[in-house]
Amino acid sequence: MGDVKSWVREQVASRVPKADLDQRDPDYIRDQLPRTWLLASLYFRADVAHLDRIPAEGPVLLVGNHSGGNVPPDTFVFTLAFCSYFGVERPFYQLAHNLVVSAPPLGWLRKFGTVAANHENARMALESGAALLVYPGGDYEVFRPSWERHKVDFDGRMGYVKLAREAGVPIVPVASVGGQEAALFLSRGQWLAKLLMTDKLLRLKSVPISLALPWGLNISDLAGHIPLPTKIAIEVQEPIDVDGDDQAVHDKVMGSLQAGVDRLAAKRRFPVIG
Amino acid sequence: MRVERRNVINADRDAVWKIVSDPDRYPSFMTSLERWESANDQPAGVGARYMAHWKIGSVPVGGLIEVVEFDDLRDLAWVGITGISLRGRIRLRDGGKGQTKVTFRLSYQAPGGIWGYIADRVAVRQVGRTTANTLKRLKVLVEAGG
Repeated sequence: MGDVKSWVREQVASRVPKADLDQRDPDYIRDQLPRTWLLASLYFRADVAHLDRIPAEGPVLLVGNHSGGNVPPDTFVFTLAFCSYFGVERPFYQLAHNLVVSAPPLGWLRKFGTVAANHENARMALESGAALLVYPGGDYEVFRPSWERHKVDFDGRMGYVKLAREAGVPIVPVASVGGQEAALFLSRGQWLAKLLMTDKLLRLKSVPISLALPWGLNISDLAGHIPLPTKIAIEVQEPIDVDGDDQAVHDKVMGSLQAGVDRLAAKRRFPVIG
Repeated sequence: MRVERRNVINADRDAVWKIVSDPDRYPSFMTSLERWESANDQPAGVGARYMAHWKIGSVPVGGLIEVVEFDDLRDLAWVGITGISLRGRIRLRDGGKGQTKVTFRLSYQAPGGIWGYIADRVAVRQVGRTTANTLKRLKVLVEAGG
């Protein structure tokens, strides 16, 4: 059994492409912007506010709350907004789970600047002078039940504070709502992940259970789903300097994000419709 | 896509030009303008560059623009350097009896082939409203004495 586990782990690890920041292709992104603009404007009726709070140049760590399972509308809406506002010429990278960057059908994400989520890649991106978007809550937060949709939950992860401190960059929190209404998420399925040992083999601590189009009952969400046309609202917040201990900075970021999510949620009258 | 809107302002060309030639006044009359910053040290005129974004649809659209025509009391035109392909023009002509005819034109083209064309078509109504409202606000501003 141990041999099988290590073989699977090696297979997955070997398929995770080494981060190559040069794979980001501004011309490709520019060509894709109209399509994403249509989707964001017509389907998700997105609204992105206060992009001016992001420092106009230099490296910056953008820290967001994550929603929407394996098809997170908040990520692509924010990427569109950032690229429209600062231009595709400003280097901008996003961290994503190993399985996302290693899936062959999602190879195009690397042209958008998506790299595998690990400390080394994140540091490399910031040291190159780029803006970097991270979702510390990762698969834990993105698969939270829909009734916790307005709760920011990083599961206590605060490696991003150390990252910002080492790179000497400010943290800009990015709060969003709406993504967790793209499907009805029922459970993170952490018990299922343990049962199937995906936590050890694939770094997947959740095998989520949801009701989603077109599958109906959707277990794992590995094949993705068609998100409901939920209204996405995003608020960029004031930068936070990393000048206290990790816990203090983390508390400040969490407080800022939760306050932003609460503000955006208060404006929402109905689920999905917004 | 090309969008053009016109109106007549009850003021002479000097009064209108005083406002449209002053980059600091743009946020006060340009509708949906979400970002307007000077991008080089050039004074207002040919060669001056600005970061300009209008909220169209879900996100701010625009980029770096450069003034390419600055014809005193007549025409002010700019082109987009980054972002979508963009040309803009504000044109002033005598309207008689102390009036000024103002024309505001925006020509734009999104990249991305067929998707860019569809996005252009979808955006055109909002761009039309933005240009019309901009002229209305300019009229109010000028007629109130600038």
